[in-house]
Amino acid sequence: MNALPVPTKRHWLRHETLLLIVLFAETTYFFYSARNFGTADNVTNIVRHSSEMGLLALAMMPVILTGGIDLSVGSLMGLCAVIFGVLTHDWHWSTLQAVAATLVAGMLAGGFNAALIAFLRLPPLIVTLGTFSLYRGLAEATTQGTKIYRSFDSDFLNLGDQRFFALPIQAWIFALGALFFWVLVHRTTLGRSFKAIGFSPEGALYAGIPVERRTALPYVLAGLTAAIAALLFTARLHQARADAGTGYELAAITAVVLGGTSIFGGIGSVHGTLIGIAAIAVLNNGIARVPWVLKAGVGGELASMLTGALLLIALAAPILTRFITRRRTT
Amino acid sequence: MKRYSRELPVAITLSALLVLLAIFAPHFFQPQPLLARLTAQVPVLVLTIGMAVVIISRQIDISVGSQFGVCAVVAGLMSAAGAPLSFALLTATLTGTAMGALNGFLVAWLGLPSIVVSLATMVTWAEVLRLFQQGRFVNLPAGAQWLGLSQLVGQASLLFFALGLLGAMAYFLKNRTGGRHFYAVGSDSEAARLAGINPRGVTMLAFVLMGTLTGLAAFCNMVQSPQVDPKCGVGLEMKAIAAAVVGGVAVTGGRGGLWGAFFGLLLLATINPALTYMHVDAYWEKAIQGLVILLAVIADGLRTKRSAA
Repeated sequence: MNALPVPTKRHWLRHETLLLIVLFAETTYFFYSARNFGTADNVTNIVRHSSEMGLLALAMMPVILTGGIDLSVGSLMGLCAVIFGVLTHDWHWSTLQAVAATLVAGMLAGGFNAALIAFLRLPPLIVTLGTFSLYRGLAEATTQGTKIYRSFDSDFLNLGDQRFFALPIQAWIFALGALFFWVLVHRTTLGRSFKAIGFSPEGALYAGIPVERRTALPYVLAGLTAAIAALLFTARLHQARADAGTGYELAAITAVVLGGTSIFGGIGSVHGTLIGIAAIAVLNNGIARVPWVLKAGVGGELASMLTGALLLIALAAPILTRFITRRRTT
Repeated sequence: MKRYSRELPVAITLSALLVLLAIFAPHFFQPQPLLARLTAQVPVLVLTIGMAVVIISRQIDISVGSQFGVCAVVAGLMSAAGAPLSFALLTATLTGTAMGALNGFLVAWLGLPSIVVSLATMVTWAEVLRLFQQGRFVNLPAGAQWLGLSQLVGQASLLFFALGLLGAMAYFLKNRTGGRHFYAVGSDSEAARLAGINPRGVTMLAFVLMGTLTGLAAFCNMVQSPQVDPKCGVGLEMKAIAAAVVGGVAVTGGRGGLWGAFFGLLLLATINPALTYMHVDAYWEKAIQGLVILLAVIADGLRTKRSAA
């Protein structure tokens, strides 16, 4: 099935199994030493708090698969949250209209990234670094840095609080997203072309793939996903605020890289990304519940610090192992 | 004329903006506030010099803001503990150099993309600092501000130091073999390797230099105020990148120069007070910075596309 001369399947298996073991070890450790970690309430809690980051990671995966990167998704979350707040509060739109408009705004913002990257051929990192600043700046300028939109329609807030068949609604949305991206990447020609582009853009062009359009698509999807994540964030906190999603781009990229997707593009799987998301979600929740961290009140700092360190290790690990195995064989 | 085609647009825009300010807001040029504003830009200028070298080598470093904060707090704690200023300067630059070397090692020797490496180190250092300092300011002893000199002399010496550094680095990059190596590696690292240059060493050097300059910049920032804010570095990486890119340093590496980056910095530093005079909210700063970066990149992209066609 895998026609590309990518590293062997055995290597793949190793990476994902290894990650599963890490996840299992992490969960076991927190289960025994962190306070109230294994309760049903807390499992719901983990799902609620990490579905936004998880959705962003799912959308980031095809972007990185094509050899690109999108640093602007966290900022776009803030902008979309503010747009939603302005539409419902200042412009008095109905919730449904505002939701639809926010989703369109997310796609447009993603499309702006896509246009600059795919059609003007500008480097993704500097383009999305620019929009990273631009989108957050627009959100802050609109709210004057302080304004927070509160009080929303109760039907909308149910999105963040209610359950559907015993699971939080976010879990269903996340599962739908996961299914969508899994099918997109692994069961469609579109997904194959993402891999081909990430592997070699020129080769993809000669294979008859419309490289520009196919490179653009993941960025538009990332924009749409950021809008969905912004709505979930707003519904969960009952607030629409400009700093929504700060730092989420790092967590999303970390989850993707941790899940075995090559940062250079061309290699990766959505199921790997899912395990990566779970590993980070459990770490974020568990670390804050370990007694000494709880006492010092440094859960947030420690979790972000470990996410950063984890990303470096996940990046360096495959290169170091390749280095070591090459040494041994020759 | 062609030789300065990358620097010319930004120099013209800057002059136009200055002329506009001279007509509509002449008090912008009062010597005292102008000197203060220029001195306030010294740390960013020092960072921009390093960032330009990193971008010319076709890399990027978005962790400098966090590194800046760490260096500033380290230097602040040193002087608060009674160490002489020279010792504070030394520890700040050494801390910066070490952090730059870590980035350099991961990028140059492990071959990892600098954007992701520095994204990770940006967050890691910022959180280490937050964990350690919990947002507390560091109060400096009385002799630390303005290097123990009078304010005017202190400001002037900082300014002279930064301009001297700029001149020396610009000369080095343009006219010395070592400087040209950054351009060679940035435009084609394989060709550079075949020409006998060690691309890894050059990349490593760019990041180490960036770290050293970050420490230096943090020190230049520290001596300007009676205390050190642990958040003083937040967002500085964007300012430095914007200045370099607006000043004609190509993000695709190998092109651009320090004088352009200097004009870029002056332009960006003038936009903000200009906005204030035009009664635009300060909250727009971040959005405008992002927009300016995008415009500069788009302009550069269109220029290269046209010249390639």
